[in-house]
Amino acid sequence: MENFMSLKIYSKPGNETFVRSVVAAFAAQLNPTMDQINDIKTAVSEAVTNCIIHAYAGEKPMADCPITVDVLLDGGTVHITVVDEGVGIADVEAARQPFFTTKEGEERTGMGFTIMDAFMDKLDILSGAGQAGTVVRMSKIINAQCSMHNAQ
Amino acid sequence: MKVEHKLIRSTLYIGLSGELDSSNADYVRGKMDELIENSIDRLVVDLSMLDFMDSTGVGVLLGRYKRLRAKSVPIFLASPQKGVDKVLTLSGVYDIMPKISN
Repeated sequence: MENFMSLKIYSKPGNETFVRSVVAAFAAQLNPTMDQINDIKTAVSEAVTNCIIHAYAGEKPMADCPITVDVLLDGGTVHITVVDEGVGIADVEAARQPFFTTKEGEERTGMGFTIMDAFMDKLDILSGAGQAGTVVRMSKIINAQCSMHNAQ
Repeated sequence: MKVEHKLIRSTLYIGLSGELDSSNADYVRGKMDELIENSIDRLVVDLSMLDFMDSTGVGVLLGRYKRLRAKSVPIFLASPQKGVDKVLTLSGVYDIMPKISN
């Protein structure tokens, strides 16, 4: 199975709900279990929420706050890339630690990347201080046999 | 997203249904805070109708925990669905808000 989709959307509350539903519906082509679908939905929700809450926290016009979500189905694996062009993460290693948050007073848990890491099989974060933007790449094997077959 | 409640003797039951994320966290937070202002002995959050929750939802629960801890009112989390249960387990929430079945 090979398929690809790309979605570009404003950083706007409510869009995390939409994006995770779209990605889950697209990944359904790989015949995932309900648990796998929920893992994907949760990880995507965390990634997109990060864009809305952290990358684009300022008062910029929405047209200047795009979130791009690419989904590649390759064999039995789903690869998801979530990209923003907002404020980056100064210390990616620190941000990956459980309970690390820069928004202490706002009831943020600092569990976003921990959840992405636990619910997906692979997580890469590319970012930096200032207006560096952030690229979150994550993959999940849905059907191992299919993935192996494709790799051969 | 729906927030329902019932008070049975001094136990407040709050039922969350739908999908809890950052788009409706403020609404749920406000609604729950309104309800827990009443004098209660314990809070049971019924999660059986909650189809989805991410770490934003964990933040909402932890925030209410902090408020009620100040009044020594315990919170119990009832009957979470599998996906929500996974998020709560990973976040270590059950250490302070025990899971119960309805």
